[in-house]
Amino acid sequence: MDLTDDEMTKNTLLKEIGKCRACRFCVDVCPAYQATEWVESMAPYGRLQIIKYLLNGTLDEDDPLVYSLYTCLQCGRCDLLCKAKGQDLEVSNLIRMGKCLLSQGLVKGKKNEKV
Amino acid sequence: MKRSKRFVSELLSNLRDNIQRTGDPLGIKSVYWTRWAKGLNLPREGETVLLTARMYQMLPYIMQVTKLISSAKPLLSRGGFGAMVNMGNRLMGDKIIRLRALGAQSLRSKSKSALRGIVSALAAVDQRPAYLYEDEPYSGVLLYDLGLDEYIESHISKVYGVLKSHNVRKVIGVDPHTTFMLKEVYPRYIDNYDIEVKHYLEILSEGGEALKKSCKKGPEKEFVIHDSCYMTRSLGIIDQLRMVTESLGITLLEPENTKSDTACCGGPIEYAFRDLTEKVSRTRIQELSSICKNVVVVCPICLINLSKYEQEMGINVCDMGELLLGALQVSPGNGLDRPI
Repeated sequence: MDLTDDEMTKNTLLKEIGKCRACRFCVDVCPAYQATEWVESMAPYGRLQIIKYLLNGTLDEDDPLVYSLYTCLQCGRCDLLCKAKGQDLEVSNLIRMGKCLLSQGLVKGKKNEKV
Repeated sequence: MKRSKRFVSELLSNLRDNIQRTGDPLGIKSVYWTRWAKGLNLPREGETVLLTARMYQMLPYIMQVTKLISSAKPLLSRGGFGAMVNMGNRLMGDKIIRLRALGAQSLRSKSKSALRGIVSALAAVDQRPAYLYEDEPYSGVLLYDLGLDEYIESHISKVYGVLKSHNVRKVIGVDPHTTFMLKEVYPRYIDNYDIEVKHYLEILSEGGEALKKSCKKGPEKEFVIHDSCYMTRSLGIIDQLRMVTESLGITLLEPENTKSDTACCGGPIEYAFRDLTEKVSRTRIQELSSICKNVVVVCPICLINLSKYEQEMGINVCDMGELLLGALQVSPGNGLDRPI
């Protein structure tokens, strides 16, 4: 069975997020997390969990989840920590890929528009 | 956070429409990005081009657009009003933004000086790249950052087509975001991508003693450095910046979060979430200003986000290009071939 690009992206995302060992070292260094006074859904680990639950259908996209994902600064500081702790996930790119899937549903004039 | 979904939807749709309609993220049709080069007589054709990708020139407009978005946020978050604002943007947005941006003299001057400083420094190391003037494209970095990947490919093809039509073989980037796009993202979309991409600091640092010899000896000055996220972590340009500042006779001070561990200025989300950006940038500028009142940055996004604290905190935030212009003692109003 041929997979569409979206399905391949979803599979890649779920596989990569599954490698996260939940060490949470990425959390403390996130500037958005620091600025929102320690709300974990505003940190890289929290964002990865949101993407995972959106993809497996546990959560539906709503205002707080969209806010959480689109406030990622893409600064890549989490990547550095993940590498330093031996896991080397491209955390910020995984969040960007999650945004990519979400943006398809948010941008107007698309057949899958959800707004 | 309230109505974020609809708000983000409006912004994404507007950005996509602007780029498809005009090639510009702000949807501005008139050529606003060439004024800095007036009187320089840069060659219009050449194998090597300086690609500003309009980033520095956009600063006064970005400032006005983020203010407008912030004040229109409650309207944008509502369905019918969002469509009206969008329509208004198409009809009048261009003019309103341009008129309001006229007031941002300080940013306009900084961006002009930064670009002229970069060109004069490149000339000092015997590099005289061409400039595409009106034909200069925007890189599409905002489409990439916001995950609008399905619209990136066509934009990248257009930009690559423009570069190839001018027989460009090498690009010198002036900002980290554009350099990252052309160096790391474009090759994923273009088969046999054959354009060499370098940041101007890489070229200056390879220039040996030439830059140092061209610099006029001035009073020794200390600056604290704010490294850019993309520059350090994505492009690995760290030592080159320090080598160049050393050539200028500047003493560089390192803050707590520096080099590859630098802290973000908050800029990448300013288009939509000004409150959060404000918190992030304030934290960073406090960290920097506690070390030194003179701050140097190497990215236009960092420049706009950190320089807004200049008056409030009594600090001086400069772009690296401005320092180059000062060290080479070239008037920002004159041609670069006429040092004063």
